[in-house]
Amino acid sequence: MNTTTLAPAILPASPAPIEIRELSFSYGVKEVLHRVSLVVEAGSVYALLGRNGAGKSSLIRCLLGHQPAASGRARLLGMDSWSERARALARIGVVPEEPDAPPHLDCAALEAFCADLYPSWDSTAVRRRLARFGVPLTTAFGELSKGQKSQALLALALGHSPELLILDDPTLGLDAVARRAVFDELIGELGERGTTVLFASHDMEGIERIADRVGILAAGRLFVDEPLEELRQRFRRINGSATLEPSDLEVLAPLLPQGVRTLAWGREIVVTQFDDREFAPLAARLDLAARAMSLEEIFVVLVGEDAA
Amino acid sequence: MAASLHIDSSSPQPIWSQIEEGLRRLVTSGSMAAGQAVPSVRDLARDLQINPATVSKAYQRLTDAGVLVVRRGEGTFVAAEPPALPQGERQRVLGSGADRYAGLALSLGASRREAVEHLQERWADLLDERKENR
Repeated sequence: MNTTTLAPAILPASPAPIEIRELSFSYGVKEVLHRVSLVVEAGSVYALLGRNGAGKSSLIRCLLGHQPAASGRARLLGMDSWSERARALARIGVVPEEPDAPPHLDCAALEAFCADLYPSWDSTAVRRRLARFGVPLTTAFGELSKGQKSQALLALALGHSPELLILDDPTLGLDAVARRAVFDELIGELGERGTTVLFASHDMEGIERIADRVGILAAGRLFVDEPLEELRQRFRRINGSATLEPSDLEVLAPLLPQGVRTLAWGREIVVTQFDDREFAPLAARLDLAARAMSLEEIFVVLVGEDAA
Repeated sequence: MAASLHIDSSSPQPIWSQIEEGLRRLVTSGSMAAGQAVPSVRDLARDLQINPATVSKAYQRLTDAGVLVVRRGEGTFVAAEPPALPQGERQRVLGSGADRYAGLALSLGASRREAVEHLQERWADLLDERKENR
């Protein structure tokens, strides 16, 4: 008997660009990250949100191997971010929160310096990006504006065509024009090369349009980790022309009311499991209206109560 | 063209679906003629400041529906003919559109007459727009 078995092609499953498992980190007795797990899939944009001090920067520092985790692990492109740091970083672009480069070097010198470090460096592309941003090549880094510094570092971070880009709030403190330029460049990068991006940010408006998935950190815990679209689908503000009574909350129970806010013009309920089929009959009976919420509004509802 | 495509990121409708609907509308109204090139995924993503994957998803759905055609190496274009759907599929698509509109009208407490009047009015508007564009 002569049979041929067609073995299924065995493709090496490529690891997710970022994989963080049960990662904890402490400064002395103060735990700043508590068993954080998240995965960033290839070609996706993951937005990491949180108030100042929530642990975003600590998480990024652990991820980049600047500090070892107390427990758990982080992997970059399948490599351990602490023990295999150097090998991993060669394939990653990083834009830090504080634009940091030798202040006396100009961009031409910085570009030449980086070119020596990476075999795959593309000088033409870097200079083109700097020109698009309008960052002068011959001004010392220390003399550039905050926006230009961020833009210069983004141009340099993309110089070796990294598979993964890690951005720690690069648009913080930038004006609208500089912010837009940064997003334009990122969108171009996503379109041309499908780079995977982890983006820690406070810029909800910009993030909302490009993120695929959102993680929200508060007090060192990642308590939201879901696709942006799902998050936006399940949150609604519900208002009524008549004043909503506490008993109405029971009626809305299946939609999981998050709380009632008394406003000058009545009351408002935020629900976290909105479902139009449940809501439509209630809306007609109680004269209610549901309004979609922006990512910023959702964020404030989710973490706002920790403010105190 | 991007000027007449509006994205509202605070709308409950996903952005890809807003693009899909917006383009469909531009094609139906004749604002975009048969055979006309649509912007590349990259250009549209940059204009609207959104993730190119989102634009891609909308284009893919419109291509599957026969509204757009991809010519390899050239780009994406408005299909020459309005997509001819098989009879059963056509009934299903019309029906589900009608469902959504009827459901919306009912949830707003509109009367049947009111709903039909709005439909007729928009129907006439769209036909007018199409004539102007031809």
